[in-house]
Amino acid sequence: MAEESILTDDFLRELINVGEVDILIGVPTYNDAETVGQVLQALRAGLLQYFPRLRAVIINADGGSKDATQDLVRAASISDLQHGSDLRALRTLHCISTQYPGGASKGTALHTILAAADLLRATGCAIISADSANFQPEWVESLLRPVCHDNFDLVTPVYRRHKFDGLLVRNLLYPMTRAIYSRRIREPYPAEFAFSGRLAGYFLGQDIWSQDVGRAGAEFYLTISTIAGGFRLAQSFLGTRPHSERAAPDLVPAMRMTAGVLFWSMEQNFSAWSASMGSQPVPTIGPEHEISLEPLRVSRKRLHQMFVRGVAELAPVLKTILSAQTLSELEQAAAVPEEEFCYSNESWVRTVYEFAAAYHKTVISRDHIVQALVPLYRGRAHTFLVENRDASADEVESNIETLCLTFERMKPNLLGMWDGGK
Amino acid sequence: MVLALPQDGLWYKDAVIYQVHVRAFHDSNGDGIGDFLGLAQKLDYVQDLGVTALWLMPFFPSPLRDDGYDISDYQSVHPHYGTLDEFKLFLNAAHERGIRVIIEMVLNHTSDQHPWFQESRSSPSNPRRGWYVWSDTDTRYRGARIIFIDTELSNWAWDPVSKAYYWHRFFSHQPDLNYDNPAVREEMWNMMKFWLDMGIDGFRLDAVPYLVERDGTNCENLPETHAVIKDYRARIDQQFPGRMLLAEANQWPADLRPYFGDGDEFQMAFHFPLMPRMFMGLKLEDRKPITEILQQTPAIPENCQWCLFLRNHDELTLEMVTDMERDYMYDEYAHDKSMRLNLGIRRRLAPLLDNDRRRIELMNGMLMSLPGTPIIYYGDEIGMGDNVKLGDRNGVRTPMQWNGGWNGGFSVADPESLYSPLLLNPVYGFQAVNVQSQKRFEHSLFSWTKHLINVRKSMPVFGRGSIEFLYPANHRVLAYVRQSGKDSILVVNNLSSSAQAVELDLRRYKGNILIEMFGRNIFPRVGDLPYLLTMGPYQFYWFRLRKI
Repeated sequence: MAEESILTDDFLRELINVGEVDILIGVPTYNDAETVGQVLQALRAGLLQYFPRLRAVIINADGGSKDATQDLVRAASISDLQHGSDLRALRTLHCISTQYPGGASKGTALHTILAAADLLRATGCAIISADSANFQPEWVESLLRPVCHDNFDLVTPVYRRHKFDGLLVRNLLYPMTRAIYSRRIREPYPAEFAFSGRLAGYFLGQDIWSQDVGRAGAEFYLTISTIAGGFRLAQSFLGTRPHSERAAPDLVPAMRMTAGVLFWSMEQNFSAWSASMGSQPVPTIGPEHEISLEPLRVSRKRLHQMFVRGVAELAPVLKTILSAQTLSELEQAAAVPEEEFCYSNESWVRTVYEFAAAYHKTVISRDHIVQALVPLYRGRAHTFLVENRDASADEVESNIETLCLTFERMKPNLLGMWDGGK
Repeated sequence: MVLALPQDGLWYKDAVIYQVHVRAFHDSNGDGIGDFLGLAQKLDYVQDLGVTALWLMPFFPSPLRDDGYDISDYQSVHPHYGTLDEFKLFLNAAHERGIRVIIEMVLNHTSDQHPWFQESRSSPSNPRRGWYVWSDTDTRYRGARIIFIDTELSNWAWDPVSKAYYWHRFFSHQPDLNYDNPAVREEMWNMMKFWLDMGIDGFRLDAVPYLVERDGTNCENLPETHAVIKDYRARIDQQFPGRMLLAEANQWPADLRPYFGDGDEFQMAFHFPLMPRMFMGLKLEDRKPITEILQQTPAIPENCQWCLFLRNHDELTLEMVTDMERDYMYDEYAHDKSMRLNLGIRRRLAPLLDNDRRRIELMNGMLMSLPGTPIIYYGDEIGMGDNVKLGDRNGVRTPMQWNGGWNGGFSVADPESLYSPLLLNPVYGFQAVNVQSQKRFEHSLFSWTKHLINVRKSMPVFGRGSIEFLYPANHRVLAYVRQSGKDSILVVNNLSSSAQAVELDLRRYKGNILIEMFGRNIFPRVGDLPYLLTMGPYQFYWFRLRKI
């Protein structure tokens, strides 16, 4: 029996009508009617302003929305089929929508979009989050020009972030990806990014789509694959990070999509990361980082409480994962009052590396290992908030850099554990 | 006596027009310049091609500083081209073959060498002073744009003889006639009547939007200008029924529409904005530019018709496109800046399309099937090239290439004596591209064009039918149905350089059989499902819809 295609017949018919394109922009959605219209307007404006001569298509991969998301996408087309089509546009701009099977999954959405990009032989592609409330037309150029004109294969964004925004990225994703894969990518798990048709074809051919990483965290693994595969990387400054109005996702799935994918990737790409030390900058268009400092109230108390409770409740699990020294440090830290609590860089890096090694050795269920990292991360986030409570932008950046260097400096420890003992 | 053709008041709707320079077509007396006797000798060729009307470029006495559009005598033939008697001989010969003849009439201006202007400038008290537009200053009519921006700085020119400024919308050696003067209007009617009496079938009226000037306007398309045309049309209908007026008005469709009046002004007008958009659609591989301009094209009276063309004696004009579209056209079709002139591109059809036979065929297919009367520019039926090095628009006005022999069969004169050098390059030169070689092969561009014209002529629906666009979801495919009475033709054009699949919603034609008009092959009957066609690169189909 033939393998079931991710492309429905209706979607395939729409792709036939679109034909070969230069630019493909993918917009994964799931009940995004409130915001997707605004994003599409910005995408259209960006394409008309910066790439008026190129053949473009906007493809919406929808996870089964019950609202008007798909209708809004289709209505954004520019063609002579639409009444009063946009006369500023030289070309037809198709905006098509498909519902992929299996329920909402960003990975499946990416898979669908990559398959379309491959079929349409797109030169430059981008993925844009449907809830990027402040998405600007200029971002289309910022992301796609390096791909379409300068032959980069992946362009990740650099945002202006609040100093307390993106704690998981700043404490784990950026520094550890940088240390492991030796490239300084500020947003290795981007919500908006652009990539070449070459990379799309390569990544589409990866044997990940039936695995967990293919359903959640595929965007992050795309970044890692780009590095491991020797593709050309760049970063492009966009502006203020778009904030989703929605509630933040649960931290456990977030940890699976980040630390879980990172640990898993280290298994796949050992030869690519084990031989390199230190890190190299990535070509960046615009500033490499910007931090905003407006007052923001953050509750640290709950982070501390959940750390303390996690260390206590997960003690048997942590004992199988961590070295005695690290576990002892964590237990001591959990025993002190909140105002004295500190989860140092060295201790945090050692913790994460020991988790990575444990994951590699599968000392217990790998998913349990990833979940067990969650309360510890909360403790680290607490320390980050305290450390940077009164810090200037430069000081925050300096603190992040120090953590990164710690990750890099201690990488040999990880290598030592990889095939050795605890 | 000049023979007249059977009177069909709407003959121009079914016509296929062939535009030709007398100078460029064939030289009968060996002086290096084409002439009327030469043209008459080649009428068998024109008839064989299948065209039904000739449109002749200006052939009047002229200093030829604007290729004859600077007329110095409206009632004679330039000695280069022959005599009035030779013109009549040609006209008869054309009519004998069922070919109508449309000639130029430049109403807006004369040459500065015309006796009228010489008299007018001679003294403010001369009776012909008021035949042109004079002023003591060069500040009037500031709202009028300059058309020949590459050569003219102002629409006013200082005349040192009469020590005053005169008005000219084109070159400064072409002073505008003053249509506010009744004597001018009457005399220009006499000029037209002179040729109508001789038996010509129509006029192409040059530069009509500019006849009248008014302060505070852009001096284009003014009501007073329309009044002049309506007056001439009424006189023609009364005294010369069945003769046709064709407007040269490079305007947007909405501004062009008034030139048809209520069917009482021009019978035909060039659709200038469509032509560049056909090229644009082809390069973009997207029907949007074509359908949009046709959507914006207003309906015209029943007895009127658009005139469609791909190329002509002028530059491919880009006045009626947006700045962004113009930049695109320049980059795609005139990357070499020497190909650009004024706001246009001075190239012929074949070089514009990279000598790609498939694209040439597709563009001609659209030309012959969109609503209107098609015009073929001489030489394009064999894929002649151009020579941008010749300056101005002379590069697209080189001698017709008849064979691979002496001067390409155009003239027996020494090559140095030709009015223009022939094309010599290995791709477009007369030894590579000529009538004789193409007539030998059934699949040459000439033979194909002839077949295309014959197929078009077989169905009056192309000239007289309505159009309905189908808008298939595949934007690379331009599809429409032409309909007149019981006749329906489905036209499907693939604008893409690659093969395409297209689904057409033909439900309203359910039960019809599609008959491909070039091979007369039968295609499946239309049912309830979308009609699927697969098309090769730049392929087009004409299907006759028949319910049997």
